[in-house]
Amino acid sequence: MKSLKELFGGGARQFGMVFALLALVLIFQISTGGKVLTPTNVQNIINGNSYVLILAIGMVLVIIAGHIDLSVGSVAAVVGIIVALAIRDWGIPWWLGVLLGLAVGAVIGAWQGFWVAYVGIPGFITTLAGMMFFRGANQYIGKSNTIPVPKEIQYLGAGYLPEWGPNTGLNNSTLVLGIAAIAAVVWVETRRRRSAVRLGAEPAPVWVSAVRVVALGAVIAYLTFLFGGGRVGTSFPFSGVILAALVLIYGFLSTRTVTGRHVYAVGGNKVAASLSGVNIRRTNFFVMMNMSVLAALAGIVFIGRSTASGPFDGTNWELDAIAAVFIGGAAVSGGVGTVAGSVIGGLVMAVLNNGLQLMGVGSDLTQMIKGLVLLAAVAFDVYNKGGRTSIFSRLFKSRGGDGTANLTPAVAGTTSMQG
Amino acid sequence: MTAGTTQRRPLLSMRQITKRFGAVEALVGVDLDVHAGEVVAMVGDNGAGKSTLAKVIAGVLQPEAGLIELGGEEVTVPTPAAAHALGISIVFQDLALCENLSVADNIFLGRERRVMRGGPMDRDGMELAARSILRDLTVNIPSVRTPVRELSAGQRQAVAIARTLTSEPRLLVLDEPTAALSVVQTAEVLTLVQRLRDLGLGVIIIGHNLADLRAVSDRIEVLRHGRNNGSFESATAHPEEIIAAIAGAGRVPEPRWSTAP
Repeated sequence: MKSLKELFGGGARQFGMVFALLALVLIFQISTGGKVLTPTNVQNIINGNSYVLILAIGMVLVIIAGHIDLSVGSVAAVVGIIVALAIRDWGIPWWLGVLLGLAVGAVIGAWQGFWVAYVGIPGFITTLAGMMFFRGANQYIGKSNTIPVPKEIQYLGAGYLPEWGPNTGLNNSTLVLGIAAIAAVVWVETRRRRSAVRLGAEPAPVWVSAVRVVALGAVIAYLTFLFGGGRVGTSFPFSGVILAALVLIYGFLSTRTVTGRHVYAVGGNKVAASLSGVNIRRTNFFVMMNMSVLAALAGIVFIGRSTASGPFDGTNWELDAIAAVFIGGAAVSGGVGTVAGSVIGGLVMAVLNNGLQLMGVGSDLTQMIKGLVLLAAVAFDVYNKGGRTSIFSRLFKSRGGDGTANLTPAVAGTTSMQG
Repeated sequence: MTAGTTQRRPLLSMRQITKRFGAVEALVGVDLDVHAGEVVAMVGDNGAGKSTLAKVIAGVLQPEAGLIELGGEEVTVPTPAAAHALGISIVFQDLALCENLSVADNIFLGRERRVMRGGPMDRDGMELAARSILRDLTVNIPSVRTPVRELSAGQRQAVAIARTLTSEPRLLVLDEPTAALSVVQTAEVLTLVQRLRDLGLGVIIIGHNLADLRAVSDRIEVLRHGRNNGSFESATAHPEEIIAAIAGAGRVPEPRWSTAP
């Protein structure tokens, strides 16, 4: 048991969620007779959900800080129509359209951040107003028309990485990404061991690290073959690359930077954070503004995938993003949640949708099942320690631990600390 | 120990501190001396001005009149940040900790160390420093990565005190540190207070439990209606005398320092 604990020590929660996702995939793979794990299907899952997963990344920071953002779907829609119209009617290049869209997102975010952080209107109310206002703005600006977007924008939402180099039987871009990901896993593991040594703790046995690296590496290698082995011209989707980059950036931001730490502190205990010198207003402003910028990006990716911007884009996206975050282990009361967990939570929803669809389950039953899954996830949260730990950490507790397993007692007077 | 320290210049010296809230006189001409390596207990009935005095020291409140000297130099403490810069730290009654963050995260909250200017946090460095602070206090906390919500009330108090030590203060004010604690946890915190004294800090501890305060402090200062109402050697004073001073009955001994040369 102890060695199992060590195997999953450090990021145990993420490991648990990955297992839940894998279990779901396997169940559907078997019950659909192998339709889930085909290159085309997994590419579709990423392409069809990347915009919600991008929203989930911003939403988890908002929820950790103790707020909620209901306006993301409408913000994505209004940015989508502005980008589409600006490119078509003003004739600006596609990249300028993207920058314009992100800038509009930033302005909208600053607007909402101002009301939440500096006036003190609850995020729920501010963004409920934003949800109505920006939905209307989308239809007003676009006159409820559907506006097509150019090929370059379509590439952002539905494109594949280029084919090049020798014939390996795979898409070489995907192959390079896979190799880079495996290298990153090895690097992170060696860093983890070095950090443990620096802290004067005994690093986990070598075999534990080896098993961890091999297991993760095998999964990545399999995904590389799956995504890269489709028909020629397809690969790991470009929107997936955007998503992966965002997961890395925001994972780093939330765990390694002062800004991220303060987001957790504000959500955990606003008064304590304030007394400790954390700038509450700036932190709240940051999470709200950041959310709208990511909503803008999600809107651009979506109009790319659907090849046009329409008056009903983004309907109910906020609910999908919020569901993903809570399934991913965030606490309703704030202060708890992870970027990676939220993306995995979003993938759980996406796989559920996809698998049920492949099984021929109608959208009526699919909605009902998704609703129950969300309720069950949060019920477990509430049941367990007053809503402050995730369903997955509970499900996998016996194998998990909370990442402290490798650390020697703080005050045991370890001799290695003396020097 | 107290005999030796009285001969030296006090770390903190407050003279004739007066603070009013409208017509209410919270503090009237209060004097207080604290030496390095000395624990001074502040006692008094509810509304006697203990917490007001603590807030004046910590820069939360401004006195209308009076003189504050720190290390022999006259100072003003206009803000909590200024108090911090002068080496004065205060642990408030309601602990200001984020339960969702780890012990090390809480100890450095708002004062995070970075690997470089504008760069990411130096997490290893902060965890090492947190461990060394907790070891100096010989606090029994399993890991600096433990979330604070998993700690006992006594351990949280220790973390709150450890928080203040990151800035290496000279004077520490503890406002009712044992108010919500069990007997065992109270004993742990009192041991902690003695360790702070051994580290050479001046400590002001505010509280109600005379037995605890006599055990841990070198001197007990009594406030009554915002005025000095007696100063007692903890080792020799009788509890009845102190209670009489708190309640306003019986004789009022002259403060020891007023008769010293």
